[in-house]
Amino acid sequence: MSTLAVARLELRRLSVRPLAWVLGALTLAELAWRFTLLLGGFLAGQVKLAAMPGGPGYTDLVAVPLLSSMLTGGFLPFGLAELALVIVPLLTMSTLAGERGNGTLPLLFATGTPAWQIVLGKYLAVLGWLLLWLLLTLAMPLSVAHGTHLDWGKLAAATLGSAAMLAALAAVGLACSAYASHPAIAAAASLMLALALWIVNLGAQVAGIDNGVLNWLALGTHLETLLRGLVSSADLLWFVLVAAVALVLAAHRLAGDRERN
Amino acid sequence: MTLPQPLLKLDSVSRRRAGRAAVRDLDLELRRGQVLGLLGVNGAGKSTTLSMIAGALRPDSGRIALDGHDFLERPELAGRLLGWLPERAPLWQELTVGEHLDTHGRLRGLAGNALRQAREAVIERLELQPLVRRLAGVLSQGQRQRLGLACALLHRPALLVLDEPANALDPVQVAALRALIREQAAAGTAVILSTHLLAEVTAVCDRVAILHEGTLRHDGPVANDDHAALERRFFEIAMNGAQARAA
Repeated sequence: MSTLAVARLELRRLSVRPLAWVLGALTLAELAWRFTLLLGGFLAGQVKLAAMPGGPGYTDLVAVPLLSSMLTGGFLPFGLAELALVIVPLLTMSTLAGERGNGTLPLLFATGTPAWQIVLGKYLAVLGWLLLWLLLTLAMPLSVAHGTHLDWGKLAAATLGSAAMLAALAAVGLACSAYASHPAIAAAASLMLALALWIVNLGAQVAGIDNGVLNWLALGTHLETLLRGLVSSADLLWFVLVAAVALVLAAHRLAGDRERN
Repeated sequence: MTLPQPLLKLDSVSRRRAGRAAVRDLDLELRRGQVLGLLGVNGAGKSTTLSMIAGALRPDSGRIALDGHDFLERPELAGRLLGWLPERAPLWQELTVGEHLDTHGRLRGLAGNALRQAREAVIERLELQPLVRRLAGVLSQGQRQRLGLACALLHRPALLVLDEPANALDPVQVAALRALIREQAAAGTAVILSTHLLAEVTAVCDRVAILHEGTLRHDGPVANDDHAALERRFFEIAMNGAQARAA
């Protein structure tokens, strides 16, 4: 009950503040541009592609690359996954650090709501916003799906991967917000952590070293598999593990607020 | 005849803040229907004490019992039994007055008809009707204070904890606040309010506790015509502390 009340409160705060609307509008405009470029490229090469047996189709060249540039290479314009590295920290930065600065966190404690329920409620609200953002992004490739052949299984796997990545990043952002004294510090820390998770194995790769541990730690390793259409419980578990650890740390830090202040 | 069990009981409660002892070995009891005034100069430990009673801060040591239960072990009791108006009434700027009441109600387990009725009752009692759709961020300090009070009263708590409730209220609102406190006490609610205004204490409180440098220096009944005696006692405690520091 309290978890839902906190989630409603956070959703209301998100919907009133301009930040969430501006972020949503700008990123969806950017993704629409990326979609147009990807679709243009696909249409231009359609005849050549049709002649290739088993060649890549609409899903491989338009729908999945819209979610991330990981498989197609090239960075600009960003895919949803790359944008999320920046969007999620901005969206989560005020969730707990803002409450602390505003003096409203003690109000939540004084209602008898345990720290873990506060964290979970905030997390559900941010996750709801991010999943809506993902759905609106997916609406672009789906809007022309009737005119082409869509690989639903592959798209579902890529969507699952994207949702899992958003869930993990949201939890990391929330944990940063729980530890930071100011929202800006929370955003910076969350961005750094997200980037670290993204590129942790890059150095080894550049040096030509195939380090199993570093690869396992890297977010990209697990996301890439799902973007390719392969759903593996080990990859999903990685996202669940990251989210769970971050949420437990956030709840632990928040519970400590009553001791520290 | 045995006295009923106190609603609130503090046993040797201590708490350090910013490297100094904000509250030391505080013992305090409060029964249903009693109004206790917590007096003290700035920094005496009043807000720290009330924050601990409200469950927003944990004591470093000691025990707080609420309705016979260990409040530190069962912080969820706050949701049902306790209403708190913190100093300066912090609010969520993005929520309207009505949304504040709904949020506080939901956080305390109210829903549906019960929430609607509780909401209407406090809106009417605190004359918030013209403000219901207004964002908290644009309220005056006096209006914020009234909204904070409404949120604290919404679930009809057994214990009302008010930190400087008369701050920023005009004389008419102060009189209304005093009437509200007496009304709550008459209905059986225990009220603890912190203030540094002696007149506030003599006007509404049955008992007064004077805190100084984190320790309880006085705990006794208040008579309505006792203003001068209370003032003498208060200054004696406050000045002795200052002289002791100077020495």
